[in-house]
Amino acid sequence: MNLKNSSYFRMATVAVALLIAAFIIMVLVGVVTHSPPAVLIECLLSEEIQFAIRLSIITSIISTLLCILVAVPVAYALARYTFPGKTVMNMLMDIPMALPPLVAGVGLLLFFGVSPVGKSLAAAGLTFVFTPLGIIVAQFFVNLPYMLRVTRSTFQGVNPRYEYVAKTLGCTDAQAFWRVTLPMSSNGLLAGSVITWSKGIGEFGAALMLAGATRMKTETLPLSLFLNMSTGKLEYAISAATILILISVISLYVFERYGGATHVY
Amino acid sequence: MLTIDSVSKSLGEFTLSNISLSIGDGEYFIVLGPTGAGKTILLETIAGIYSPDSGRILLNDRDITDVPARERNIGMVYQDYMLFPHLTVEANIAFGLKSHRADPAFIRGKVEESAELLNISHLLHRYPGTLSGGEQQRTAIARALVMDPEALLLDEPLSALDVKTRESLRAELARIHKATGTTIVHITHNFEEVFDLADRVAIMQGGDVIQVGTPEEIFRRPNSDFVAGFVGVENLFRGTGSPDGTVAVGDLRIRVENGIPGPVSVAIRPEEILLSKTALPENGRNVISGRVDSVRPNGGLVRVSVDAGVPFRVTLTRQGFEEAAIAPGDTVCLAFRPSAAHVYSPGEGEEA
Repeated sequence: MNLKNSSYFRMATVAVALLIAAFIIMVLVGVVTHSPPAVLIECLLSEEIQFAIRLSIITSIISTLLCILVAVPVAYALARYTFPGKTVMNMLMDIPMALPPLVAGVGLLLFFGVSPVGKSLAAAGLTFVFTPLGIIVAQFFVNLPYMLRVTRSTFQGVNPRYEYVAKTLGCTDAQAFWRVTLPMSSNGLLAGSVITWSKGIGEFGAALMLAGATRMKTETLPLSLFLNMSTGKLEYAISAATILILISVISLYVFERYGGATHVY
Repeated sequence: MLTIDSVSKSLGEFTLSNISLSIGDGEYFIVLGPTGAGKTILLETIAGIYSPDSGRILLNDRDITDVPARERNIGMVYQDYMLFPHLTVEANIAFGLKSHRADPAFIRGKVEESAELLNISHLLHRYPGTLSGGEQQRTAIARALVMDPEALLLDEPLSALDVKTRESLRAELARIHKATGTTIVHITHNFEEVFDLADRVAIMQGGDVIQVGTPEEIFRRPNSDFVAGFVGVENLFRGTGSPDGTVAVGDLRIRVENGIPGPVSVAIRPEEILLSKTALPENGRNVISGRVDSVRPNGGLVRVSVDAGVPFRVTLTRQGFEEAAIAPGDTVCLAFRPSAAHVYSPGEGEEA
């Protein structure tokens, strides 16, 4: 390959990149600038959008906390220990991520709706079908693999010899984890939590299936976007979309800033 | 007294096979071996990170084979320091005492004392990421020593440092050992550290300990080709030993230190051989004549290859080389004492 060809190649690849970047910007800016600012603000302050914001924030924070609570011990086990079935378990944990969220939603609906476990939970007062609780479970189920992957690669990035030293200095396994590995993983955990939270706030398919789309009951921001789009209230849909865009951009920035070498995929 | 009694451990590609060592109270013991010899596993097994597949470990007459690392009171220092990056130097050093919930005033006193011993008192409020390699390693040593460990394990403690820092920290280690009297097991692949520090040395290869002795013994009386090669014996000959204390190597008959009959190896250090263009008197020495093959300057030394029926390698100082005025092709005289020619039986499994 001569120099001239290679520079054409370079121009061609960079040109495609620029085109796509321009496309992304136009799509996003198109949403944000569609409504005049006064209308946007009016929608944002409406009772319905306020409800959606509140419900989205509460459900996503709870589901993210649940993801952290589960992902930390599971990721640690997968990162540090060898045990029978570990490879299979690793794959299993990733399945919800590869699944279309709608399929995950159907599975959750059947599990909580008709399975004996779901029925006994409902009998005990924990109703997940068509309730805000269902939103939390849907977000948790779909987003746990993301938290798990980031956490696992964060723990793998901490040399186990730090823990060895901690143990020679009087720590039990749990103390070594708590005093050394966990604080050393704080950036990765923060990055993972932010990306999980941001995905949770945007979760639609699985939440729609399990929790349904009931105005002012299970109406999170993405469901509000969907409902208002269906009923032709474009300004309301746009205002929900604008918030979701802002949240995505900010959380992506935080992830890149603190995520360091951790990768979601 | 640290006793390792027939310890075996298999860990993927690294193994320890039936290791037995006895390290005295206050001894500075160096384990020397190439990368992959199982040195780090040995230390981590002593520290209690791994439990041996078989065998026992005794520390001051206490069987610690099944005692968890946190209850052994054995300090560990790694090549890469392994300082906790989220803690200050002070908190790193205090880490172990805090594990044992010691009184804060006591902790402060102990930390200051260790920091002073390691000359890092001025660094106590810094974070490890801001320290030089030498300062980090001093911190790591202080963190282990503050616990008054019954044994201190050093895993290649000087290998990650630049030459100058390495030399000063090597001197520090000697001073600290003297000041504290702690039993130290230090592993390295660098022979230089042995002479400055070690009371005794063990040579490891492929998960086995193949020779234990004082540095002088290992250096001058290797028991195998591997050890001989590792400590820089460049003249290694196969020959046949006679009961009269000589070994026939090719056409040569070399008088040796320790006569062993039968097939043997003879090891002669290149710096133990005298080289001259004029004939040298015997005076009880081996005197051999040969022809200079090549002359290779190597830093402050000059390495000369001589063909005397068998190839000899001689190391001269630059001064000695200039006085001898040797060039390739010259006929020269080699002389060395029988005590410089150490004999051992080629071990089983070694190449003949």
